[in-house]
Amino acid sequence: MILPAILVISVIAFFPLFETFYDSFYSFSLRPGSVKRFVGLMNYERLMEDPRFIAALKHTVFFTVVSVFFETVLGILMAVVVHQKFPLRGLVRAAMLVPWAIPTAVSSQMWRWMFHDQFGIVSKWWVKLGIISPGTPILGRPSLAMWAIIFVDVWKTTPFMAILILAALQVIPEELYEAARIDGANAVQRFFKITIPLILPTIGVALIFRTLDALRVFDVVYVMTRGAVGTETLAVYNRHVLMGRAFTGNWFGYGSAISVAIFVIISIFAVIYMKSLRLKFD
Amino acid sequence: MKRLTLVLTLVLITAVAFSIKITMTSGGVGKELEVLKKQIQMFNQIYPDIKVEIIPMPDSSTQRHDLYVTYFAAKQPDPVVLMLDVIWPAEFAPFLEDLTKYKDYFALDRFLPGTVKSVTVNGKIVAIPWFTDAGLLYYRKDLLKKYGYDHPPRTWSELVEMAQKISKAEGIEGFVWQGAKYEGLVCDFMEYLWSFGGDVLDDNGKVVIDKGDAAVKALQFMKDLIYKYKISPEGVTTYMEEDARRLFQNGKAVFMRNWPYAWSLLNSPDSPVRGKVGVTVLPMGPGGRHAATLGGWVLGINKYASKEQKDAAIKLIRFLTSYHQELYKAVNAGQNPTRKYVYQDSSLEKAAPFMVKLFNVFINALPRPRVANYTDVSDIIQRYVHAVLTNQMDPQTAVKKMAKELRWTLGQ
Repeated sequence: MILPAILVISVIAFFPLFETFYDSFYSFSLRPGSVKRFVGLMNYERLMEDPRFIAALKHTVFFTVVSVFFETVLGILMAVVVHQKFPLRGLVRAAMLVPWAIPTAVSSQMWRWMFHDQFGIVSKWWVKLGIISPGTPILGRPSLAMWAIIFVDVWKTTPFMAILILAALQVIPEELYEAARIDGANAVQRFFKITIPLILPTIGVALIFRTLDALRVFDVVYVMTRGAVGTETLAVYNRHVLMGRAFTGNWFGYGSAISVAIFVIISIFAVIYMKSLRLKFD
Repeated sequence: MKRLTLVLTLVLITAVAFSIKITMTSGGVGKELEVLKKQIQMFNQIYPDIKVEIIPMPDSSTQRHDLYVTYFAAKQPDPVVLMLDVIWPAEFAPFLEDLTKYKDYFALDRFLPGTVKSVTVNGKIVAIPWFTDAGLLYYRKDLLKKYGYDHPPRTWSELVEMAQKISKAEGIEGFVWQGAKYEGLVCDFMEYLWSFGGDVLDDNGKVVIDKGDAAVKALQFMKDLIYKYKISPEGVTTYMEEDARRLFQNGKAVFMRNWPYAWSLLNSPDSPVRGKVGVTVLPMGPGGRHAATLGGWVLGINKYASKEQKDAAIKLIRFLTSYHQELYKAVNAGQNPTRKYVYQDSSLEKAAPFMVKLFNVFINALPRPRVANYTDVSDIIQRYVHAVLTNQMDPQTAVKKMAKELRWTLGQ
């Protein structure tokens, strides 16, 4: 049973990964007749000197750290709330998942309209609350656009975090809390001494999922700003290199190098999580 | 009787054996798809043996571009007939069938010269213009009259003056256009640049954007529309065509720059500005000329298709770009013909009078830079123009950097 599994994984996962690695050492394009030229590490040296890549890297890491932080904190809170018994709990749990269920391209477009300077509902509220002055284009301001994108991502993926954590909450035996209560632990102590340690492995897995997703974020940025006003992420830049320059110049190897860079950054984050949360996967 | 059955069977067998299936990509904006399906039915009355299957494409032009990249990179024989944006022929030329020898069959000398230019790559014809587009100025006839103007603005300064006066008195926006960072921004920028007497590339393809001060002045003017004259909302830096149209259609703006498609929507039964809208050529700049960016779509043939499929595709394209079919499409889908003489047809004048009235705009529309790596050229323009519009860079620096990057990209 293991052999077919390995075979399938190697075909659908390792082969493209290996090919991308391989391509990143070459200079070529997808134009017919383009000759693949081995250039060693040149594409990677170029990456280090590409201001657009460096900027995109910064934007991506900022987006990832901030959005995943809020998603985790809010996700835990949300999970704890829906873990309680209250009327219509099943309905609330289902409704909670709605943002997660809408395709990102659709919900991003929806939010783009809500951020519209003239008839956007969010703009209207923010003006009323005094956060922005009337007529401010939220997605056209360098200081605001990235936060708006993060806001949408948090709105969309917090439910995913919550559902994962809720599953972990449900397997914590009630006796533990009872014992703690008898020993005189208050609610805050019970939360930090029992709940958090027991859901930590799940949070770790959820963090890896979310971080991985956030580091290759594309659709929400592409639909809302196309990478304008300091929101260009690595994946958005990479689309331009791989698709926009597929047949011109010799950029395909360079685009592959960007893909490898995204892969490496994701791996670094994954290792940090695994080490710091002492996760074991075997 | 027996003989008749035999003959009929033979006819049937030949019909089946010689019938051929080809695929064609098409957009689905408005009535586009519906109209095309009717056209294919008409085509099949003449060529019953060619079966055409339509592959609908996403609305976003960039998504269509990326789909084609995947098709071509995979060397797929399908789709056979390709609906291409007017800016792609140079980039996709290696994958398109050379149609130069069919020049006369398609009667290309009867097409608008700008559209023919856009499908000519290194002297070769790689596609046939299907419908065309040009940037236009929409204005509120009723408001202009109310404030004592008997004609639409002829120059940008006239537009600024009218927009300031009317928008202040009416409490609405003065002028909306496309200022988001995407292809539409390039179209708008080119119009300002040309009307100020500049260009991005000269006729030999050399970068000339930093020659003279036209580009700096054009950029400064675009910026001034927002921050100095305050006739455009700061939000134009996030507007695409539909954002501008919605504002204008709800009576919230005096002027709008948009494509011809907006006309029928602005005059639809439920439109608040129905009958109150005029449309004309974009104003002249100090460079002394009106300018409109050429848009539109062309039909090419996939090089990896079989010989029989290509022959069938040529017949289909010839049919779709014929006089009567272009007229049919213009009347029913509101898409501008690429053939000159269709504009003289009385039935077009009845269905879409502005097309006939503005023939001069369509025949004089200018193409964006025609280079193979246009996506890079466009990306550079988008980034720097948008940086100026959002106050992140001054026009002088932007033009200097733009020129430098363009030269580097084009290997000059």
